[in-house]
Amino acid sequence: MNKTRKIEMTVELIRILVAVGIAYLIALVTLFLISDDPIYIIEQFVLGPFSSVRRVGSIINLAIPFTFTGLCFCFMYAVNKFNLSGEGIFMFSGCMATLAAINIGDGLPFPIMLLILLVVGAVTGIVITAIPALLDAKFKANIVVVSLMLNSILVFLSIWVLKYLMRDPTIGSMGSYPLPDNAVLPNVFGKFRIQSGIFIAVIAVIAVAILFYKMVFGYKMRVVGSNPLFAKACGINMVGTIVVAQLIGGALAGLGGTCEILGNYDRFKWTASTQHGFDGLMVAVLARRNPILVPVAALLLAYIRIGADVVNSRGDIPIEFITVIQGIVILLVAAEEFMGRFKKKMIYKAAEESLAEDKKEEVAEIMSEDDGEGKEQ
Amino acid sequence: MAQEVLRMEGITKIYDNGFVANKNITFWLHEGEILALVGENGAGKTTLMKVLFGLETPQEGKVLINGEPAKIENTLDAISKGIGMVHQHFMLVPSLTVAENVVLGIEPMKNGLFDFEKAVSMTQEVADKYNFNIDPKMKVADLSVGQMQKVEIMKVLIKGAKIIIMDEPTAVLTPQETDELFEQLILLRDGGHSIIFISHKLEEVKRICSRVTVLRHGYCLGSYDLADMNEEDISRLMVGRDVVLKIEKDDPKIGKPVVHIQNLVKINESGKHVLDDISFDIHEGEVVGIAGVEGNGQSDLSDVLSGMGSFTSGTVEVNGNNIKGKTVHEIRGMGMAYIPEDRMEYGCAGDMSIRDNIVADRFFKKEYKSGPFMKRKYIDQIVDQYIKDFEIACDDKSQPVRMLSGGNIQKVVVAREFTSGSNFILANQPTRGIDVGAAEMIRKTIVRKSREEGTATLLISADLNEVLECSDRLLVFRKGKVVAAFPKANEVSEAELGEYMLGLKTMTAEEMEGLL
Repeated sequence: MNKTRKIEMTVELIRILVAVGIAYLIALVTLFLISDDPIYIIEQFVLGPFSSVRRVGSIINLAIPFTFTGLCFCFMYAVNKFNLSGEGIFMFSGCMATLAAINIGDGLPFPIMLLILLVVGAVTGIVITAIPALLDAKFKANIVVVSLMLNSILVFLSIWVLKYLMRDPTIGSMGSYPLPDNAVLPNVFGKFRIQSGIFIAVIAVIAVAILFYKMVFGYKMRVVGSNPLFAKACGINMVGTIVVAQLIGGALAGLGGTCEILGNYDRFKWTASTQHGFDGLMVAVLARRNPILVPVAALLLAYIRIGADVVNSRGDIPIEFITVIQGIVILLVAAEEFMGRFKKKMIYKAAEESLAEDKKEEVAEIMSEDDGEGKEQ
Repeated sequence: MAQEVLRMEGITKIYDNGFVANKNITFWLHEGEILALVGENGAGKTTLMKVLFGLETPQEGKVLINGEPAKIENTLDAISKGIGMVHQHFMLVPSLTVAENVVLGIEPMKNGLFDFEKAVSMTQEVADKYNFNIDPKMKVADLSVGQMQKVEIMKVLIKGAKIIIMDEPTAVLTPQETDELFEQLILLRDGGHSIIFISHKLEEVKRICSRVTVLRHGYCLGSYDLADMNEEDISRLMVGRDVVLKIEKDDPKIGKPVVHIQNLVKINESGKHVLDDISFDIHEGEVVGIAGVEGNGQSDLSDVLSGMGSFTSGTVEVNGNNIKGKTVHEIRGMGMAYIPEDRMEYGCAGDMSIRDNIVADRFFKKEYKSGPFMKRKYIDQIVDQYIKDFEIACDDKSQPVRMLSGGNIQKVVVAREFTSGSNFILANQPTRGIDVGAAEMIRKTIVRKSREEGTATLLISADLNEVLECSDRLLVFRKGKVVAAFPKANEVSEAELGEYMLGLKTMTAEEMEGLL
């Protein structure tokens, strides 16, 4: 049995590598067909993101919102609820934090201001996720449908708030009044120009990992997600656990949206859904619902995205093509039975080997016991 | 020697989790014989039969039918080659009639529509030919378990099966129904059918089979002529040592009532009285057994007591607290521990570790946490201790439970429930489908806890031997009522128990006075 466990883990790792490999292979073959200079494009795609300090910084910067929304979806996954409201929350929390910052003005010192804005973002997230979570718990409303509809509402609610409550008429494009100086998260690490939301993201990852694996609530959550009937038979409060887990997820998405606005923008100017929520869903799938792996998956996704940007600006390849490559990677990693046959073969082989070993022993033992019992036909 | 109709050669079957269920098994079947296939639970009998019936694909080995190599890849192949299987759990549609169930898969058609009259006449024909006394127009839901089994056998016969696999056919039958089944099987045998009879009831094997094939730990130990063997010989081959079917136990020291059930009624969604005015007590230090054909209210009683299901009226008290409307958590707090009927569904979380499974009922208690954190070290310590105490065979405490064998998974469940500090243990089918060694340990622990710690135990089991051996007091359930009560379980014979289970006899309230 020990062998089986090792094989399962090894295959899991190989599977992810093979998935990435296949995706790049498909990319390569397709590029040879459609591009004039495929080698250059591939080189740009693979190595481009590392070609300058600025680009490495961009990868990390992009991974920060992915980390927040990835953590958010770890919670949704943990309790087996496909509450997709993280997408809308990301945008709406950014909007609410901006509104709060503009209204409070620059009177407060930076740390207090930051804390207030983060709380605004998190609370917005909690309040919003509570809608699908409670509708599901109380009335068994389909959580996927409710949360998707909610996302549409949030997009237009954000635009409405932007248009009627904080639009800056002095700029040409649609945008809010500028954020006060004490609300802006400064860039750190010199040339890398990484937004300082990274510290908040790192704290969030550590806190979530502790919550998942060290705290009573995380344990409860994992039991409920792993086998709800068993949780019920053990007397674990299922509904409460499921709802609270989703609220924490919502708070994280809210924090993500807030950090993104405060760290990367001088004013709120989103007029369409940012897709960071759905990217977070991908990150959580890639990370296998494990919060510790979320930053790794977020970096991987960010690396692919930046690679796509580089190719897009340099070559003759449309960015949509890169999205296809990215889709293939996710598809193969998410498909749990991919390479399942290979795994089974390994397990059979290991079982047969150990079978040959203990066979002689066991047969000898059985035969010695049966000494003289009955006769074979 | 009669002609050989079936030969399975060198069958090796490995499951996806690396478990080798069949190790190079070779066995054969003659025309017109009843062959017993025996072995402990987990010895590989059911797997071997699934391979034969096309439900599992073996890694190695071949099947020969009438000397010809046969490729059986799915059940349709098996059926077309004249193999039929009567499953342990019936595969019938209760809302349809007998005839409709029997012709499923070969429905007669007229003008593009189902021809019910033809179905009835086809069914009647088979019933007459093989002497089944059953009305094809009856609804399956209205049949007794014994009759349902006849429908299953007819289903197999109408498709022209010559080789019939019977997977523990007597497990759900009363002794009287078993006798009837055996007459039927002998009739089939004399009509040229070959039957593979899976059972662990050795006296039954001895009664109707001519030859026995013994499996153990996935190996085939050979085929033996039953004329040369007695039950002890077979038993020794099966388990390798003499099985202790008797459990030594002192008389119980009965204390105050722990569980008090008064006029308990439960009416289910379809308006049926699944529990019909039940009253009895369970006292400190005693094991109360409940026998009965499955589906006569035992599971419903277990659901009510554990808090998994509600009840309609009556009073149920655990240690003096009324459980009406209480959650599982609250009832556990009153002193209930619960070994559920289905361990994979209710008893464990397969993907979680042994440690996580063991603390699932107590993680919220003070000694297991400090603030919002779990006391990892303390938990590790007690889990290691339980793994040792309950002889759980595993790599270590962080191994996912799904990788363990059935018996060891059940030991994890039992380790949790027996150490919960409760004084009432609700054990629903605690040893179903696990190996003899683990079952013996669990049974002994149930008795020991009642004697040494004064635990009140309710033992619900379909295994008559188990209820008779472990229980002090024994109640018989039928149609949601208590129909018989015995003061000393080990003085009751299986035949007598069968008469009550089947409804041939019922005790009056006066006869049961003082025993409830």
